Amino acid sequence: MAYTLKVWSDFKNYQTKCYRDYLSRASGGLRCMGSTWSVLAPLKGLGHDVHLIGGEPHAASTAGTLPEEGRKNIMAAESAGLGFHSCSYLKLFVGEVVRDKMSITDGTVHDGYPRPDLIWTTHLCNLHSKWYQEVSRILGGVPLFPIDVIGGGAAEQDPKIVDYVSDQMEEGIGWLERVTGRQFNDELFIRAARNEIKVLVLWGNVCALNMHSPAPLDERRFIALFPPAMVDRTTDEAAKLYEDLLAEVQHMVDTGQSVIPNQDYRIAYFGLAHTYGHPEIGRTLKNAGAEIVASVYTFGTAGNFKGFDKDRKWSWEGIDPSWVGDLDLSTRRKALTELAKIVLAWPTWQGVRSYWALEEMSKAMAAQFKADGFLLAPTRSCETDFRNGYIALQRIFKDRLPTIEYDTETVDVRKMDIPGSKRKTELFVDLMKAHKNKKGGV
Amino acid sequence: MKKVKIQAGLDAGHINTKAVIMNGREVMGYGNAPTGFDIVGAAQSALNNAMENTGVSLEDLEGVVATGIFKDIIDSPSLKVTGTVPEFKSGAKGALFLNRDSRTIIDIGGNVHKAVSYDQNGDLLDVVQNDKCADGLGIYYTTMAKALGLNEQGLTKLALKSTKKLSVAIQCGLSAETDAIDLMCQGEEIADVAAAVLRYIAERVADMSTYLSLTKEVVVAGGIARSQVIIKHISELLNQDISVIEPPEYVGAIGAVISEEEE
Amino acid sequence: MEKNAGKIIEKFRHITENPHEYAKALKDKGHLLAGYMCTHVPEEILYAAGFVPIRILSAHESQAMTRSYIHETYCSFSHDCAYQGLQKNYGYLDMITHASSCIHMAEAFNVWVRFAGYEEKSYLITYPHIIHTKHAGDIMVKSFIQFKEFVEKFEGKSITDEEIEKAIKVYNKTRRLLKKLWESLKADKPPISGADVATVSLAAQVMEKQEFNKMLEELIQELKAEPHRVFSGVRLMVTGGACDDLRIFDLLEDLNYDTNLIFVDSCTAARYFWFEVPEDSDDKLKAIAMGHISRIPCPSKDTVPGSGEKKRFRVLQGYIEEFKPDGVVMLYQRFCSPQSMDIMALKPILKNLGIPWTELELDTTVPRIQFGTQLEALIETINRVEP
Repeated sequence: MAYTLKVWSDFKNYQTKCYRDYLSRASGGLRCMGSTWSVLAPLKGLGHDVHLIGGEPHAASTAGTLPEEGRKNIMAAESAGLGFHSCSYLKLFVGEVVRDKMSITDGTVHDGYPRPDLIWTTHLCNLHSKWYQEVSRILGGVPLFPIDVIGGGAAEQDPKIVDYVSDQMEEGIGWLERVTGRQFNDELFIRAARNEIKVLVLWGNVCALNMHSPAPLDERRFIALFPPAMVDRTTDEAAKLYEDLLAEVQHMVDTGQSVIPNQDYRIAYFGLAHTYGHPEIGRTLKNAGAEIVASVYTFGTAGNFKGFDKDRKWSWEGIDPSWVGDLDLSTRRKALTELAKIVLAWPTWQGVRSYWALEEMSKAMAAQFKADGFLLAPTRSCETDFRNGYIALQRIFKDRLPTIEYDTETVDVRKMDIPGSKRKTELFVDLMKAHKNKKGGV
Repeated sequence: MKKVKIQAGLDAGHINTKAVIMNGREVMGYGNAPTGFDIVGAAQSALNNAMENTGVSLEDLEGVVATGIFKDIIDSPSLKVTGTVPEFKSGAKGALFLNRDSRTIIDIGGNVHKAVSYDQNGDLLDVVQNDKCADGLGIYYTTMAKALGLNEQGLTKLALKSTKKLSVAIQCGLSAETDAIDLMCQGEEIADVAAAVLRYIAERVADMSTYLSLTKEVVVAGGIARSQVIIKHISELLNQDISVIEPPEYVGAIGAVISEEEE
Repeated sequence: MEKNAGKIIEKFRHITENPHEYAKALKDKGHLLAGYMCTHVPEEILYAAGFVPIRILSAHESQAMTRSYIHETYCSFSHDCAYQGLQKNYGYLDMITHASSCIHMAEAFNVWVRFAGYEEKSYLITYPHIIHTKHAGDIMVKSFIQFKEFVEKFEGKSITDEEIEKAIKVYNKTRRLLKKLWESLKADKPPISGADVATVSLAAQVMEKQEFNKMLEELIQELKAEPHRVFSGVRLMVTGGACDDLRIFDLLEDLNYDTNLIFVDSCTAARYFWFEVPEDSDDKLKAIAMGHISRIPCPSKDTVPGSGEKKRFRVLQGYIEEFKPDGVVMLYQRFCSPQSMDIMALKPILKNLGIPWTELELDTTVPRIQFGTQLEALIETINRVEP
């Protein structure tokens, strides 16, 4: 019998509350916008009343909640000049600005786009920093500070890169003070920093538990459970959410329970959480007892893992959460340095600029999660490690493990070939069956 | 002893629906019809065509097995379809039946092309299907033939006369078509344009095929396989001898019957 | 009788159309050759080490064989460059290098490293993705130090400051000469066609620099004495991404109207050379970094911290004032992300300046008729709005 998560509604409520607070500017505070692949904690040094919104997962979450609204946003962005082949995440977000509306995950649509006071962002890919440049421009010029997190394989082990990111954040703090007229509060910042690191570590541990058989969670749950870690991972509340989640999932492992009791085939998945088309593909897999038990997007977007050792071998095992409590964050610089290291160690930042890092992560995922198949679903137009390098991965994996590749898309019906992707998914299932039969399995 | 059945295989593709009638493992005859918009009607026509050519009546048929992109649509009561077989399976089984030494089939269809590798029993080892932009190679071939005022055989005959290497954009059929038109407007020789068009098709097919380890005998199926220009170019790109399975259009239909017969 | 300038231009063109022939001749003379992708590579370090840096460019060949290595919706420039590696067309290179720029070119480089046998003789230079951060210079210097160490180890000999300074001066000479050549297009009746200037600029990226400088000095002298081709037409500026297909520039000046191509803002033209590295600095690598930071930024790196503006547009407006184009052609690779985002913000600027524009998406082929129609529509628009 399928297990039902107790923490489910708390997660949904947290994400929605964050968006409502941003909309209403609860307690008269600051509205900060920017990529949630940035380091968020410095923003919290500006006070208790800082409200965040970022492209991730807002664009995809609301597209999932209100797909038709999402499609209107895309059309609006394209009418404003964004190219067809720009990524949908970008168009979903910019489209809201163009339409002067915002929709959020409680299913409501609000007139009047709430202008941010500042943009604090990063440059994950060639579209990423540009997207916020466009938002700033369309809104008549919003102060924008981009941090070049640079990324790359094992970048967190490279002192020059750690220093580069830390130096920029330090400079950024000075900029935040100038732009907001507020004095930076190191105590608030350090508390937020520890929460930020803690949430990333906790989520990594939750994901790592899927190495067990049966895997306690599936991709559908992961998609629903990682958003708070992206929306605002700096709060005590977020840390508590993930502590509770970890405890519950550990309990599931200890008692052999799962949200998906039928797991004949375990799939390692590289690709974005594609809202559009996902239910159809999910059904095809489910009917065959095939479940995604490991996923680079949901794991790597908001989680940290043991990562690369000195020999550049990757492990998806979790980091002991008690390590976070022991971290020396006693000064601003120390906290910034630890934040720089944790973000650089994120799978997303590793894989986006390093083909060997992506390859190592994929090999480790297939091995550690005991994958029967490898599903590659690059998001058409994506410029990050949710497309970059996938075609080469198909080439590398084809001989070792049943592998299939098809393009996916967030919500734009024009960009995803549903019948073709379903056919390929059926082929994938047949490949996994054939492979298992050869090995003398089920 | 296993009873030998007379069965029909139906391969409902994007452009054409192909039918074969077999007595056990013996091919009795073929039929086909353009698919168009009436998919069930096309299947009926193809089947009627095959029955006419073989003298077999509907009452004689002990089974109708469907495959192809529209197999689920033609699985209708009027056609009395008794089973469906996925395309990769019918392709592999059909290819092995027609060529016992083959171990890889490259099937170039109207909309989709794929490559399947299989073992000595025709059981699946690996499969790869085209990327989205490369959809529609068969449809593109037919369209370009019409645009040049030729039938399908004529396009290849014309390309054989090419003396100059021209290029069309390789991104997709639409880009390739607009480039072909541009070349014609530039006054380039039509034979050279035809060759460029066929080279586009060959490039997309060959590229996809490199995902598989093509070490054993490779055969090509699908109507386009009749173009020796395309076959030659694929072979050069893959640095591999390839042969056209005969008859290339009916491999799927034959394979569907064989699959059913083996079950 | 062909003028001397014409003969020199013809030589440059021959080199751009036969880069492998040129490179192999260098190899036969005993030169070490280093291939690079994108213009963020500190070539001076390679040159100081005794390498001839050669930019890896596309062959404008329509092929699909790289679609099973790189996603099909990456730009055709990156696909073509990847293909060159898989085909071993640059097999004579002793090493390759790349400084991280856009995602598509990163994939092209990755193909060479993983699948074309360059793993042991390649180096990826860590390079800022936002060129205007206060700390970009620092990390570039640290990165260049590591690159220099790699090159020294690869070659088995150290690179001295004197050698780097010499390289800086040679390269600065190239930059000044190219700038001089482009500035001749400011004239109402330029002495040379823009297409020929674009050809010379492209040749600079595949030639040994001292040889190139000598040829270009000669050309400039010849043009002073006698202009090569003089006519006055509608003045067109190009802005966009990598374009190493000279047929486009030929087309721009071969329409049914008189046109002059007068400036090209792309990494295969002005962005490659319109800057200088400070000479005689104590810290040579810092000087190179400062030079790079002062360049017209690549769109993939152009976000100014604080304002979020694109510095390239300020620079472009300066060129518009100097070169006085009547119209702008936005020329970029299909599927290029940073360019397509940039032009959204560029269009209102051009509109405010009263300059008509058109957009052309590049692929391996040049559809002359379609592009020609579009360009002539631009000319007609310009002529209509001119008083």
